[in-house]
Amino acid sequence: MMLQRIVTDILLMSGIGVVLAFIMVIAQRWLSNYGEVNLNINSKRDMKVTGGNSLLATLSDSQIFIPSACGGRGSCGACKCKVIDGGGPLLPTERPLLTKAEQADSIRLACQVKVKSDINIQIPEDIFNIRRFNTVIEEIVDYTYDIKGIVFKLQNGETIDFKAGQYVQLETVPYAKVKQKVVRAYSISSKPELNDRIQLIIRLVPEGICTTWVHKFLKVGDKVSFTGPYGDFYLRDTDADILFVAGGSGKAPIKSMLEHLQEVGTKRKMTYFFGARTTKDLYLTDEFRVFEKHFDDFSYVPVLSHASPEENWDGKTGFVMPYFKDAIRDPKNTEAYLCGSPGMISAVTKSLIEYGLSEEKIYYDSFG
Amino acid sequence: MQPGVITLGGFLGTDKRDFTQIIADDEKTLEKCGKTAEEIAERLEYFQQQSFDAFESNTIVDNKYKVETEVVRGYLPCPFNHQGIYRKSYTTVTNLQSGKSFTFSALNIHLIRAHHFFEGKKSHFRLEPDEVIKELF
Repeated sequence: MMLQRIVTDILLMSGIGVVLAFIMVIAQRWLSNYGEVNLNINSKRDMKVTGGNSLLATLSDSQIFIPSACGGRGSCGACKCKVIDGGGPLLPTERPLLTKAEQADSIRLACQVKVKSDINIQIPEDIFNIRRFNTVIEEIVDYTYDIKGIVFKLQNGETIDFKAGQYVQLETVPYAKVKQKVVRAYSISSKPELNDRIQLIIRLVPEGICTTWVHKFLKVGDKVSFTGPYGDFYLRDTDADILFVAGGSGKAPIKSMLEHLQEVGTKRKMTYFFGARTTKDLYLTDEFRVFEKHFDDFSYVPVLSHASPEENWDGKTGFVMPYFKDAIRDPKNTEAYLCGSPGMISAVTKSLIEYGLSEEKIYYDSFG
Repeated sequence: MQPGVITLGGFLGTDKRDFTQIIADDEKTLEKCGKTAEEIAERLEYFQQQSFDAFESNTIVDNKYKVETEVVRGYLPCPFNHQGIYRKSYTTVTNLQSGKSFTFSALNIHLIRAHHFFEGKKSHFRLEPDEVIKELF
């Protein structure tokens, strides 16, 4: 009798569960089906899109890529765009990542805005140049014990139009214990003139999902996708003298800039201070010495902070800042391009301003 | 929390305990040692800031600790879905008297302060509360 009652209760509960699940599926299908809606961009472009997804995902499905550092989790605040109308009320998940001025100016997080009805948005025109590229790995080179250079060959005859210094967002594929795609930003290290492929310089990061994939799993011939180009760190077309300061994988955008200048020709006075810990962290030194021969006035200056006596390093040591003095001939006519950690950027910027450089002419790509 | 979502190895390591149990056990340890998670976070942040002030280079703090920070490109979100992202900075503090070293990230400081979460055993950035208290205070 008791057993019969237990079995009956189990069947009853299971039945209720099935009915509820069925109702939820129907509700999802009918209540969340927003049908086709109109997405207007910059009061110029109208697109018919299927409602129900986030604005970030909807734009991505339409091959319009807004930068996002967290993959749409609503935690980075990078996917800001102006939603003129149709975005619904500002969500509690957005408020902490938007200033009061941004909130007043209808700035929203594209990953949090759900497209449910006709919507009007404004995004920078540059974003239309951002595309997804399918590539095949053409070359992987070990530069140091923890830095590799990887060449991505674009497929289907595609080419990429970018400015030297910009970056792309590389998309991983599931591997080992990693079950989902992640997206990470890396500066392009090859020149814009070589537009059927790009090179990235990637350093292995402890516990890094993308860098571990690149360093331990990626092989020549593998298919990989990225989106880009992104960023406002690029070489300005002026006649000003240039100071480059970057260490580690921060060398990537500087390499791109120098290769570009080699291509177009320049008479600009340029100095590149490459900060590293030890001789083990130096790479592409011969290639940068070749730049010294090619350009009229270019110096490559590696500076080591932790060289041991056994390394017999006879180059410059310590911080890079004390060496700026000899490289700056006219601070008012000098631009600086910095790439590295926030601490480095902060210290170098402070020093350059003390040497008389204008803050507006100090361009940087900060890792942090 | 799981491997391959935010970090390669996840936040639980080889620990078989539920994360709430990890937190509860570490809170007991803190209580025994007479420190709070907030105090630990503040102490770690102090070392991190000292290192940032020295432009992430090697620096000696309080004549007793060698501190160095490495910053790499990118950010990490909180696994508890908190707002905000945390710089991928890794600070190593070495007690020069004992030789004992601890490495922690900016996210570790947040996890300890906001969630009292020191990560699971054998997790890459697991910090043992009692050892931190013994060596870094």
